[in-house]
Amino acid sequence: MEAHKRKGVPIPIQPFTEEPLRLLDEQGNPVVDFDPEEHLGLSPSRLVKLYEDMVLTREVDRMCWLLQRSGKAAFHISITGHEGAIVGSFYALRPEDWINGYYRTPPAMHVRGIRLAEIFAQLMGTALDPLKGRQMPGHLGAKKAQSFTYGSGVGLAHVVGMGMARALQYRKTGGVVVTYGGEGSTSEPHFHSALNFAGVYRLPLVVMIVNNQYAISVPRTQQTAAKTIAEKGKAYGLPGFYLDGNDPLIVYHVMRQAADRARAGGGPALIEALTYRLDPHSSADDDRKYRSEEEVKHWWERDTLKRMRHFLTLKGLWDEEKEEALKERVRLDVERAVEEAEAAGLPRVEELFEEVYGERPWHLTRQWEELQAEMQEQEGGH
Amino acid sequence: MPVMNFAQALRDALRYELAHDDAVVVFGEDVGKRGGVFNITEGLQEQFGEERVFDTPLDENGILGMAVGMAVMGLRPVAEIQFVDYLWPGYDPLYSEAAKIRFRSGNQFHVPMVVRSPYGGLVGGGLYHSQSPEALFAHVAGLKVVIPSTPSDAKGLLIASIRDDDPVVFLEHKRMYYALKEEVPEGEHVVPLGKARTVREGEDVTVVTYGMMVHETLKAAEKLEKEGISLHILDLRTLIPFDGDAILHSLERTGRLVIVAEAPRTVSFASEIAAFVAEAAVDLLDGPVVRVTGWDMPFPFKLEKHYMPNVTRIARGVKRALSLLP
Ligand SMILES: Cc1ncc(C[n+]2csc(CCOP(=O)(O)OP(=O)(O)O)c2C)c(N)n1
Ligand SMILES: [Mg+2]
Repeated sequence: MEAHKRKGVPIPIQPFTEEPLRLLDEQGNPVVDFDPEEHLGLSPSRLVKLYEDMVLTREVDRMCWLLQRSGKAAFHISITGHEGAIVGSFYALRPEDWINGYYRTPPAMHVRGIRLAEIFAQLMGTALDPLKGRQMPGHLGAKKAQSFTYGSGVGLAHVVGMGMARALQYRKTGGVVVTYGGEGSTSEPHFHSALNFAGVYRLPLVVMIVNNQYAISVPRTQQTAAKTIAEKGKAYGLPGFYLDGNDPLIVYHVMRQAADRARAGGGPALIEALTYRLDPHSSADDDRKYRSEEEVKHWWERDTLKRMRHFLTLKGLWDEEKEEALKERVRLDVERAVEEAEAAGLPRVEELFEEVYGERPWHLTRQWEELQAEMQEQEGGH
Repeated sequence: MPVMNFAQALRDALRYELAHDDAVVVFGEDVGKRGGVFNITEGLQEQFGEERVFDTPLDENGILGMAVGMAVMGLRPVAEIQFVDYLWPGYDPLYSEAAKIRFRSGNQFHVPMVVRSPYGGLVGGGLYHSQSPEALFAHVAGLKVVIPSTPSDAKGLLIASIRDDDPVVFLEHKRMYYALKEEVPEGEHVVPLGKARTVREGEDVTVVTYGMMVHETLKAAEKLEKEGISLHILDLRTLIPFDGDAILHSLERTGRLVIVAEAPRTVSFASEIAAFVAEAAVDLLDGPVVRVTGWDMPFPFKLEKHYMPNVTRIARGVKRALSLLP
């Protein structure tokens, strides 16, 4: 990428590159001469906040693992390693925008205005969970945060998000929809349908692929013979950007431009952010079966948090003291949120029957009566 | 009241809802300029413009995925699937998304969409233009399933389905589009979901049916009348939720039950009605419950008349219910 030093002019970005675009190298040194405020629109305080939110997200993730191991959460699916791609992209969005996430976005949902306690409530399925304990961990969305409540089927977020974008376009309300998924989700028909329709209708849609190089155990080379995921955009008549997903600044920068263009009616875009899953796929996975410790270690050395910290330090915005204070603060915030989430108790059983349809049909009323009798007998038996 | 065929009545419903609610949008393969391959949406794009009534790429997954996304954002999409036989690439958005969104979101989102699609045989359409897969929708908690049998109901039920706040699969027997005419109320005409229609009063046997089989059953009733057997015919109109009370009420009088549907028999909606009655009111029954259906096979092209339930098959079923036949 060309250095671009004129004031106020954003750094130009190229679609369909063979190498991932980046602003920071693997250690966090700038690869071009740029000023975050002038060229990216990120003030020093926002730059610091971005890093702090990445650290908080990692701490949320760490706590999710602890709750899972202690039996308080049934399952966990980790964001560790993906924070640059996910938090960086959230930072580029505006209040009128919508996201349709996937199971790696929940620990970062505080960036979208969902309270930490609600994140843990969803993980544990307590009454504070916006989803009322209906979904297994890793499925947090909330209407108030303009974050759709996606399901578990890989890829469906893209095709449903495409319809959401069509609604924004129809209502002319402004805003863009960003759908999330791993590189495995690009093999599903939903990815194709979403990009194809979005191209035809020029929808305000950005499909964000967080390529962490594995779909559970299956490596990226077994998903597609294409060199990059981003180049698939070409077939649908839309730009595809291939980025270093461990560089939160390029993610922010490209997402911001793609979203601005889509909001202005310029059409959809595809983004592929290359990163690495530092944890096993989920709490139910054993990643030693399919990848080496050396490989994982290689990527820990390129951790997105380290890079951002290094860059902030270079800029004179960060030091050891700040790091220690931040760690202490996020630890306390997370602990308090877990306590609040746990204290909320269980969701109501009756609501299961009330919220299948807008109005409960007679057959569900009968089934609810059956369950009540069953519950009474169970209580009587104790 | 104007006389309309089935197709005109459906178009009238779409036109009425498009005119009265700007959240309603209509789309599918060929529905724009062409007005649909069965001409149901004819003239609607011209009247309401390309933002309200439009063509889609040839991709049922995209059509239904888009409908779900539009619906959760507050629109009322009416998606046409050209033949229900081709819905399956879009079954995932319907089954995994539309049906489950209200529940899984803790009631934050809901999905007021309608999937309209032609179903049914006796049109020379072979395996892939003739099937009756209603059971594959009726089984899915969170979906509603509606199958009208007359032009007037087609209009009233379609309007009710569009206004419903949950996803509705609305199946239209393609052989009826231009075969049936009757008076249809102009303007506002809503037939509530979940209420059966008494097609014919009778004493001896209750026949529960829906869709085109209502008309075949009526023909069978005339034949049986001459033999001294009187049929009470109920048109379900809505499969989910179905009108259980109407069925039980009628059985109090007849004590005999036949279910007529053209779908294959095993694990069919006819089986559900049989099970419902067996569980809820076995004491009302004076004889075996009989399912008169299509056969458990893919739909045959050349010999379709032997597949389809007909007057003879229905009459024989009625006689089995009366224990007049083994
Ligand atoms: C349609 C579907 N098939 C299979 C699964 C099971 N599954 C859950 S995650 C996953 C791997 C997804 O990989 P990728 O899209 O690369 O995302 P990542 O987990 O690597 O972030 C699979 C196979 C599923 N949830 N949905
Ligand atoms: Mg992956």
